[in-house]
Amino acid sequence: MQQQPPTSPDVSSAAKSPLFQSSTQYRNWRFSVEQLKATRAALNQASVAAIRNTFESDSPGSSSDVHFLDANEEHLLVKLYIIKISQLCGHFRFPEEVEATGITYLKRFYLKNTVMDWHPKNVMLTALYLATKTTNHPISLESYTANIPRTNASDVLDLEFLVAQSLAFEFAVWHAHRALWGIWLDIQDLPQAPPHEELQRIHDTAMQHIRTSRLTDVELIYPPSQIALACLSLAHPEIAAFWARSKNADTALEAIESIKRTITRDGDTPSVDVVREIDRHLKICKNPEKVVGSKAYLAKRAREEKEAELKRKKKAENVRKATEQGNPFGEVLVGQANLDDDD
Amino acid sequence: MSTNRTNAASWLRGTTIRKGTTTPATRSHTPQTQTSSSIVFSGGVKDGSGRTSEYFSMDDQCPVCKSDRYLNPKLRLLVSSCYHKMCESCIDRLYTLGPAPCPVCGKTLKKMTFIPQTFEDLVVEKEVAIRRKLAKEFNKRREDFPDLRSYDDYLQEVEDITFNLINEIDIPETQARIAAYRKENAAFIELNQQREEAYVQALKEQEEAERRERQLRAEEIRRAEEEERDAREGERRALIDNLENSDADAARLVAQARAEALKRAAARTAAAHQAVFAQQQETMRLRAAQSAVVVPDQPHVPLLDGYYAYEDLCGLRSSYFDPASDAVRRDKEGIMRAGGYRVEEAWERALRYAVAGLDITPPLGEVSMPLPITSRVDADVAMASV
Repeated sequence: MQQQPPTSPDVSSAAKSPLFQSSTQYRNWRFSVEQLKATRAALNQASVAAIRNTFESDSPGSSSDVHFLDANEEHLLVKLYIIKISQLCGHFRFPEEVEATGITYLKRFYLKNTVMDWHPKNVMLTALYLATKTTNHPISLESYTANIPRTNASDVLDLEFLVAQSLAFEFAVWHAHRALWGIWLDIQDLPQAPPHEELQRIHDTAMQHIRTSRLTDVELIYPPSQIALACLSLAHPEIAAFWARSKNADTALEAIESIKRTITRDGDTPSVDVVREIDRHLKICKNPEKVVGSKAYLAKRAREEKEAELKRKKKAENVRKATEQGNPFGEVLVGQANLDDDD
Repeated sequence: MSTNRTNAASWLRGTTIRKGTTTPATRSHTPQTQTSSSIVFSGGVKDGSGRTSEYFSMDDQCPVCKSDRYLNPKLRLLVSSCYHKMCESCIDRLYTLGPAPCPVCGKTLKKMTFIPQTFEDLVVEKEVAIRRKLAKEFNKRREDFPDLRSYDDYLQEVEDITFNLINEIDIPETQARIAAYRKENAAFIELNQQREEAYVQALKEQEEAERRERQLRAEEIRRAEEEERDAREGERRALIDNLENSDADAARLVAQARAEALKRAAARTAAAHQAVFAQQQETMRLRAAQSAVVVPDQPHVPLLDGYYAYEDLCGLRSSYFDPASDAVRRDKEGIMRAGGYRVEEAWERALRYAVAGLDITPPLGEVSMPLPITSRVDADVAMASV
């Protein structure tokens, strides 16, 4: 441990690791545009191959006329359900934190899973419910499901572990809206700070841009402070530039240009007709192993059951062997007799 | 039934029945007092002050005669030496004429061996009794052994014996072991008992000394108060005498006397305070001397970690224009915030977020693929194998 006094950060900051760079968000959930594209494409290919395989093993030749979704179509569907999360949060009057966290969970989940396995309409509910818990705004499952039509508790809970596992149990998210709040507070320290009414207007506009940015991939590419600065820049470019220069953040000023471009390009709502068409395709091409009661589902269950049985047998065999050899807890540790001299 | 026979029977039972009249001399005329016993049952497990708190429950029922607290509110259950419960009247009935077998297990019991119950669970009762009894003789300490190993062996042996006695395994052999130990270590046992007694005695003496000191102090204070009262009385009288005899201005005299009285009172209080303080110091010193081990006072080192939290980039102002937190800040009673919530901390966190990672350049290209594509190869299979 460093024995330097905490009052001299300038001396020790070089040796210390910055907080954001230590977060799981930076380490595990930060990609380049190309990486995102490649990840989604590879994921889509792998799952299409797997599902095609399942179709074929069920009845050969049945997969030839199925139209599988491509990576873009999957992404579009997820985007629609991001909007659904926002609507749901408006309905429940959840705070900004819950909404943003739920959306982040949904995006991260579909970087490791495909919509053909897990339909976003269910995952969305689970992701949001998980977000209420991880952001300390818990709501009872009854009141949650009672306010959403055609939903029961198992729809939310069945996927909960899967979602948590796909997130690698990394629930902490650094959000852009908090960074925007911080920038906005800090602007009041600048000599060019506008009057209060103007400040309020800037904040509200920038907040709208933050909400739009949640429909895009920017949070998977850029740190939250840069996203917030870009949104502020969309609302009031001069103030954003003043503030960035006061922090000597020229890197950020370069980065926000591409963030602004991405937000204005990808921040639109997908058209309902297109998504409805995708959803119609999805009904046909979804993984039959995940449809409860189907032949493939039963076959998969049987396979899993057999594997589990084998595993149990192996474990029982190990235990029996150990018992036969003598002490089931292993041999007595030698040479430790004088370790407990702590009277 | 003829009166004659009734009288004969009651004569046999050693009681007299007088219809219509009740005198305190008859012992068994009320159904509640079912005992004619003159024995005061004692024993059982005593607590620190030497009292036995008896276990008592509304569901008590005598296992022998099945009478319970509903039928007999004064039911008192006692425990035999074989750890079976019986009510007082059953004990009287069975054991007044001398030793008799236990109705449950058949062990021969005497009336005198019954003890009151302290614990709800009789197994605990038995264990505590056995441990107390053994501790009287197996009273060696760590200092009596050359090394830890032999002390552990000794403890193990005591525990073995205790276990055997509690669970009644190899009783004769265990008794023989105890006897052998007693014979071997007679001198040791005696010595340790003396040591124990000396320790208890020392504790008692210390308490006594403290008590005496407290008394002394109270006496001192009382005397001081008395003196003060006397002094005040004397001053008052002196003032009156002065007023009587002198020709000076009365108001001036009174003022002068008051000032003097005030001065004297102040001096008295200061002296009293000093005395009390000195006494306290003395007590503290004595106590410190008594506790031989001196714990050194380590200076407190706050937790340091290896993270940089952007301290140089974010300066917090004392106040901001912030409509979002207005309601919370205006709330003086703290109804809207949890205990310990400070809006300054929320601001500080936001400011940290504002500057966190400002200088990071976005990753480019497909160089690293941190997400293993295989991770989707059935997350639910992974789930099943967890």
